[in-house]
Amino acid sequence: MRRTKWLSTLSISSLLLATILSGCGNEESQSEKTEIVLSGWGGNPTEKKLLDEVLSDFEKEHPHIDVKLNTISDQYMDVLKTRLIGGTAADVFYLDAFEAPALIETGAVEPLNKYVTQDFEIADFEKPMLDAFKKGEELYGLPKDYSTLALFYNKKMFKEAGITDPPQTWEEMELAAKKLTDQEKQVYGLGMLPQIERMYYMAESRGGQVITDGRATFADDKVVDAIQPVVDMHVKDKTAATPSEVGAGQSAGEMFGRGNAAMVMEGNWNIPFLEDTFPELDYGTAELPTINGKKGTMSFTVGYAMNAESEHKKESWELIDYLTGKEGMKKWTSKGFALPTRKSVAAELGFDQDKLRGPLVSGAEYATVWQDGPTLPIVMNNFNNQFLSAYLGDRPLKEALKDAEKQANREIKVTE
Amino acid sequence: MKMLSKKDRREAGQGYLFLLPALLVLGVFVIAPILYAVFLSFHKVELIGGATYEFRGLDNFMKVTFDDRAIIALKNTAIYVAIVVPTQTFLALVLAASLNAGLKGQKFFRIVYFLPTLTSSAVLTLIFMWMYNQNGLINYVLKFLNLPTYNWIGDPDVALIAIMIMNIWATAPFFMVIYLAALQDIPDSHYEAAELDGAGPIQKFWHITVPNLRPVTSFVVVMGLIGTFQLFDQSYIFSGGSGGPNNSTLTVVLLIYQYAFKTLGTMGYATAIAFMLAIIILVATLLQRKFSKEESLY
Repeated sequence: MRRTKWLSTLSISSLLLATILSGCGNEESQSEKTEIVLSGWGGNPTEKKLLDEVLSDFEKEHPHIDVKLNTISDQYMDVLKTRLIGGTAADVFYLDAFEAPALIETGAVEPLNKYVTQDFEIADFEKPMLDAFKKGEELYGLPKDYSTLALFYNKKMFKEAGITDPPQTWEEMELAAKKLTDQEKQVYGLGMLPQIERMYYMAESRGGQVITDGRATFADDKVVDAIQPVVDMHVKDKTAATPSEVGAGQSAGEMFGRGNAAMVMEGNWNIPFLEDTFPELDYGTAELPTINGKKGTMSFTVGYAMNAESEHKKESWELIDYLTGKEGMKKWTSKGFALPTRKSVAAELGFDQDKLRGPLVSGAEYATVWQDGPTLPIVMNNFNNQFLSAYLGDRPLKEALKDAEKQANREIKVTE
Repeated sequence: MKMLSKKDRREAGQGYLFLLPALLVLGVFVIAPILYAVFLSFHKVELIGGATYEFRGLDNFMKVTFDDRAIIALKNTAIYVAIVVPTQTFLALVLAASLNAGLKGQKFFRIVYFLPTLTSSAVLTLIFMWMYNQNGLINYVLKFLNLPTYNWIGDPDVALIAIMIMNIWATAPFFMVIYLAALQDIPDSHYEAAELDGAGPIQKFWHITVPNLRPVTSFVVVMGLIGTFQLFDQSYIFSGGSGGPNNSTLTVVLLIYQYAFKTLGTMGYATAIAFMLAIIILVATLLQRKFSKEESLY
């Protein structure tokens, strides 16, 4: 009697427990194919279709692998980090070079040196883009594509102002901007986003350093003097403006397309954008004007990285190998949404000869890659916050940057 | 100490066995996370890439003193609480009193007023962001009335105010319903007596309605305090997670979120701030209770 009572108590409790816990189990599907998950952010519909095509080509060549594309359309890094912590992140994921160092430091990204073979021809990659994903000698990601910045100029406005060639030097550009500006019509010579990611190469052009040993050092006179011309063009000459000042939101491309700016410094993404939105616009591109006789531009790159906790590393590498290999990259970049990081692919597709993309490709050699260690995101936020006040003429640049530097370094200290 | 007999022990065992499911659920989902958070707040934590913990003592708690953003977040939250709680409480009271006065169609208005509360705050925020747009409805109305228009979302001086207006509009009706319920409990005889003494409607409101609702007001204020201190989703959506423009919509909980999930390696610091926020809310609630002693009314 007693025993049965005990037993029934036990069985009821365990039954309750089982019901609770049963929700936690997950079923594994049994299939011959290995499933690889690829995470990325969504592009425009044409880009998405292109990626789907590349992936189905890959699946044809590798019938034992099934690639599942998982698009994270908003707050990509937050979602990725949370999934990495929870152990549910994709096997292969997009990684912006700018975010890479901090993530590599955590050990969540698989080192790739041991997978790279002779056949992969790693020397074919543009070196600055490849170096962006390196820590020491170890490689943690392979750049899938990139874009540099080039000077987009409105041919019609140039003609009307009597300027025959795009400016070669910064001084020439300042002069051209003066001729092109017509404030009453809200037309400015140069449309500019007042952000450090657009002028990092300028900031360091006089030998100053924005970040030294993980600490912000951009209030250095060398840096301040180097970017003072950007502020002067807006505050003194009034020949440059931000897109939001003419009601174009955050898009310099839109400002340019609507004719509110005769020149903008934009990347490859601007070409398809202008084609779609302003097909009538007659414009050309040129390399960015030189500063003190030196060429310079920014380069933005995104790579494929492998999850260090992936259960299918071999297959994941096969995917990365294909996507960043000659064939996969050729298809992916064939429509010109992004530039190929392999020199051979760029040559084959003829982008270096392309009228519009040529200047962007030439920039790759001397570009400053938008990546400078794990503290760059904090430095960027603080710089941009305070730089804006200087750009609007509310306070001197030196003073604003001093404040920003102090705040950035405090914030870096907090994260240590 | 009295020894438990065999029977007693068996009975106690059975009792605990029946409690086991509940205890397990509470333990796993409530108590263990709290203890884990205490543990985290004393460490530097990196959860990505095989969790690593490094003991830092009170370091995380000291960091707040030189973290400008934490101070800004606290200031923003304090301003927000100080304005929203009194306003929404008063508005709820006035709405409830007017809808209890026996006007025609008051049932209809009760429903209409309550609707905002039923809408999810995320949806509400998105709708308001359309209305707050530079060329949106609110600026249009302001322009029509020849009043100055604002860049509600982009201007650091007004962004927080925009969120305040939205939140007061959305939460006041919820408290209104609580007041409405409480109003039914006020005996009519009080009003009759006041009328005999020659009191007008406003006098009746201040001298009968308000004092009689004091315990409910106390509840509403405490709930309001807790809710407003925890402001997160609205400012998150408003600023796209950044707390901008220029940190003007950065609240304490948003800052905790940023340190926990955006910046790498600051999970420990985030939990430390969360504990400090919990203490602030506790103190605010205790103070509120002290100031409004629930005295007997009859």
